[in-house]
Amino acid sequence: MGYHEASNIDYGTGQKKLSIYVVGVVGCVLLTLIAFWVVMSSQLTKGQILAVIYAAACLQFLVQLLCFLRLNTQTEQGRINVMALIFTGVILLCIIMGSLWIMWNLHYNMMH
Amino acid sequence: MHGEAMVIDTHKHNADTTDVFGFWLYIMSDCILFGCLFATFLVLHSTGMQGPALKNHLNLYDVLMETFFLLASNFTFCLALLNMNQSKLLKVQWWLLITFLLGAGFITMEVNEFIHLAIAGYRWDISAQASSFFTLVGTHGLHVSIGLLWILLMIIQLPIMKITQTTKRRMTYLGLFWNFLDIVWIFVFTIVYLMEAI
Repeated sequence: MGYHEASNIDYGTGQKKLSIYVVGVVGCVLLTLIAFWVVMSSQLTKGQILAVIYAAACLQFLVQLLCFLRLNTQTEQGRINVMALIFTGVILLCIIMGSLWIMWNLHYNMMH
Repeated sequence: MHGEAMVIDTHKHNADTTDVFGFWLYIMSDCILFGCLFATFLVLHSTGMQGPALKNHLNLYDVLMETFFLLASNFTFCLALLNMNQSKLLKVQWWLLITFLLGAGFITMEVNEFIHLAIAGYRWDISAQASSFFTLVGTHGLHVSIGLLWILLMIIQLPIMKITQTTKRRMTYLGLFWNFLDIVWIFVFTIVYLMEAI
């Protein structure tokens, strides 16, 4: 292993490139503007607005993961990081969806 | 001799990689903390709304500004990382300073917003949903404040310790932390602000 290779280890956080960061920031700005514009102009129905802002949030989440956090499966470390992220996602899904499901059911049963 | 040095170097590399993975796991556990706060917020805002509504006090233009402050600071931090890899110390400090100022702008706007909400009668102790709002957004703000302190420490530390393997590792930690905060903010502005405003 040469010194220069050793001095720029990425720790599983991918290669640093200006072009990728620029793509990331432009993508995030566009998605943010779309989400705010849809809510502020409010020409759509509530369901459509919700769909658009959630789609924009999920897309922006992906853009940030790929362009800024530089998650990748190229290296062993990168793969382990992605596995940890997926596991966290499963737990978050249980916590958030579980809470909403239980509380909504409770609310429904109290009212009917 | 050379072989020995290489073994030590490889060993240190592995130790560093494990350290960064440990920090990644910390960030994942922080995700779960935020997940719990989001779940609380959603539950308290969906069933039987009581107390004043957040909707009447929201200014979406301010939230949009805050979002751009955080996004821009995220980008400038990435530029600092790029210069770190090219060993340009002065440029790293410069971009870190800009990152700090943008982050400070975000925090200033958020504190201002909290003060205005409190004056308008939407205090943290007025209802359960107000408490969940201030806890969620406040926890994110606290994280950003700690990140700002950390950036300040790096600006001071870098000229003293120079660009070495150790400071590079520390910048990697800080980068993960700072990007993570921006990612949490995506969900804060979508779930808290935009959903309230509909």
